[in-house]
Amino acid sequence: MRGYLLRRLPSALLVLLVASFVAFAVLRLVPGDPAAVLAGPDASPGTEAAIRARLGLDAPLHTQYLRWIGDLLTGDLGPSYAIGGQTADLIGEGLGATVELTLGALLFVVVLGAALGILGATSRNRWVGATVRILTTAALAVPPFVTGVLLVLLFAVVLGVLPPGGRVPLLDAPDLGVQYLLLPALCLALPSAAVLGRYLKDGIERALAEDYVRTATAAGIAPRRLLWHHALPNALPPVVTLLGMQTGHLLGGAVLVEAIFAWPGLGQLAEQALVRRDYPVVQDLLLLLVTVFVLVQLLTDLVHAWLDPRIRWE
Amino acid sequence: MTELYSSTPSAPSRRTTLRAAGGGTLLLGLGLAGCRSAVSEAEAPAGKAGAGPRRGGIVTVAVNSDFTPSLLFAQSGQSLQQRLIYNTLTRYDDRLKPQPELATSWEHAEDGRGITLKLRTGVTFHDGRPFTADDVIFAVKNLQNPLRAAQLRATAAAVTGFEKRGDHELVLRLAHPVNNLFDLFEFMVITDRNSVEDAVTGKKLNGTGPFKLTKWSPGSGLSLTRNEKYWQPDRPYLDGVELRVVPQADALLSSLRTGQSQLSFSVPGKNLAVVAATPELAISQYTTGGGAYYLGVNTTVAPLNDKTVRQALARAIDRERILKQVLGGYGLASATPWPKSSPAFTEAGRTHYTYDPGKARELLKSAGHTRLDLPLLHINLPGDTAVAEAIQYDLKQIGVQVTLQPTDPATAQKNLISQKMPGLWAMSHSFAQVQPSTLAVSAYPFNEAKNTSKFRSAAYTKVVREAWTTPGTGARANALRQQITDTLLDEAFIIDLVIRGAVQVSAKKLHGVTLNKFSYLNLDDAYLAG
Repeated sequence: MRGYLLRRLPSALLVLLVASFVAFAVLRLVPGDPAAVLAGPDASPGTEAAIRARLGLDAPLHTQYLRWIGDLLTGDLGPSYAIGGQTADLIGEGLGATVELTLGALLFVVVLGAALGILGATSRNRWVGATVRILTTAALAVPPFVTGVLLVLLFAVVLGVLPPGGRVPLLDAPDLGVQYLLLPALCLALPSAAVLGRYLKDGIERALAEDYVRTATAAGIAPRRLLWHHALPNALPPVVTLLGMQTGHLLGGAVLVEAIFAWPGLGQLAEQALVRRDYPVVQDLLLLLVTVFVLVQLLTDLVHAWLDPRIRWE
Repeated sequence: MTELYSSTPSAPSRRTTLRAAGGGTLLLGLGLAGCRSAVSEAEAPAGKAGAGPRRGGIVTVAVNSDFTPSLLFAQSGQSLQQRLIYNTLTRYDDRLKPQPELATSWEHAEDGRGITLKLRTGVTFHDGRPFTADDVIFAVKNLQNPLRAAQLRATAAAVTGFEKRGDHELVLRLAHPVNNLFDLFEFMVITDRNSVEDAVTGKKLNGTGPFKLTKWSPGSGLSLTRNEKYWQPDRPYLDGVELRVVPQADALLSSLRTGQSQLSFSVPGKNLAVVAATPELAISQYTTGGGAYYLGVNTTVAPLNDKTVRQALARAIDRERILKQVLGGYGLASATPWPKSSPAFTEAGRTHYTYDPGKARELLKSAGHTRLDLPLLHINLPGDTAVAEAIQYDLKQIGVQVTLQPTDPATAQKNLISQKMPGLWAMSHSFAQVQPSTLAVSAYPFNEAKNTSKFRSAAYTKVVREAWTTPGTGARANALRQQITDTLLDEAFIIDLVIRGAVQVSAKKLHGVTLNKFSYLNLDDAYLAG
């Protein structure tokens, strides 16, 4: 396993290096600059120049890049240009919220995806099969900003049982926090749950059609045992890989869902920072997201290798 | 590797792990049936039933963008917290007459080059330090610093001398007379000079205001609690204020409708009809106008360098339709920047360019054009896009084809400052709500020396400078304001469309909310009725 991990590391580091170049360059290619935003619409050229000098934006680009990477390597994320405060604090605040939302959504993805997959593959009832198909198609087809608004309308405005937005951290008050988390996590989870459900359904169906299953059935092994002990474990490895990829999607999708539910996570921070051209915050955020993505991918591969020994022997 | 069976695993098996995960999920699900409800928790506890102010309760204000500490001394899209945490020297009433706040009285020097301020005694900052004349001196010098990007820097910079007469009396000496000193006093929050660098990074906001900051959670909002030692006796009534960031318009509306928040100034015009139909909510409007939508014209781009063409554009736009369709009817269609409360407001000015596509076509023809193609830059937010589309439609009716250039706010701002706008642009401006001279000195689109339209005229410069340095009342002041208005209308380099006042949506049980002229929220007298 360790050898497998070591083989994967260089490519992961290369991805991070390229990502740092891209994060730095892309922002500078976009028109509009932080000094102008800070100076406001009534600034004199002197004000803008003073702000530019204070932010170090008058230095050549390669100096700015090296300064940024150097600071990062020493663990200093530096101050935010526009929002105020330290970038590390800003990202730290948002990270907790986003991780909470993503984990909540992941839980929904696993539970709903498993339910849809197993039900779809094993139900002999035509109506159940059709309902599962319709549900997965709808969950995939309706974009989160529509689902989000519908969920808020139903659960917050009409029924009045859940709050329409905001956040109470789960660790501060679990009973309240969960109620704030339910709607955004569900909204975020639905499309991924549908994808996962479909994959799982196909995997189980394939496994159930294998010869050994037929033999086992002939030997009188109960269908339930067949499903849980034989078909499901065999269908799981590719689904785990998919789950890893979906985690990336969840992180990306969180940007939109966070806006709908006023969830103060990294998505909200990224949007604010981007609009104000807050370079340090956006750069660090992009790099963080790529890092998380790379790590999740690495972890997924490791779990996959654990579940399917053939992989680690390759 | 040919190993067929792995050694006995010491870690949990796959099956056990899967079972544990399933079981955990179930347990968490069961745990969700919590005892407290987030819906009822969110509602602010109201005071006891009965008439009159009541103490207690927390008001949640829904805002669409977060507090930006680095813009603490500039006017930004989110200035609501300024007057909750800090005080200003004076505060305008509805007729632009200054009322005492931290300055209790004032006396102008006879030559107009100074003012003597008497300061309130017994005022302390949240950390217990007494407020003195030194804090006022610091506040003025702070706004002179270009890094603070304060819009009223020109006025602050006119103060060149400070003469302290004890801890609570101060003379400000001016390089030249200015008539918008009280705009500065309304705008300038009095901060603690010892912690100003912590203030602009959001670490510590130490003021003399009615509420103390307990926490700023970036992206989430501000939590404030009552200042028990506030200098106004028995105020504030409220226990605290929460400013909660809800960027998405539908979510903001839901938060008001479900009682999660009790106050907002960020409901878009098109959503106000929904608010009006909600029995628990009330809409009120500040007619003193904090901003205005306008069509900017680059006067160096042919044929827009011909003022007849600009006048034709000014006549071609149906301002009432924009008011109705984009702003939900809240605002004032006007060809001049002045709200009704401004001393420069005249009804004749407001209606100078009435919607008249026939006349517009005639003007265009007299300038030698029947068809024009022009670019129009606008900010790519829903409200701004709707205004740009309305302009595009109206101009098409007189033969002017407009190509929209949707642009993000940062780029638009950069273009505005660096004078790189295309032929036309649609944005909004502020600063007509206070002394008229402030508009031409502090609002960039109107600045006589350097503006985005690249409009320069010796006569305009002369009248603007004179209007700024002449005492603000009397016949001469009126005449100068009229001259500015006439120039703006005749030259049409900024074509004003609709003046928007702040639109307040609040729970009906919330009373006593006001805004100052720079949209600083004042909750000194606010209370939640039973």
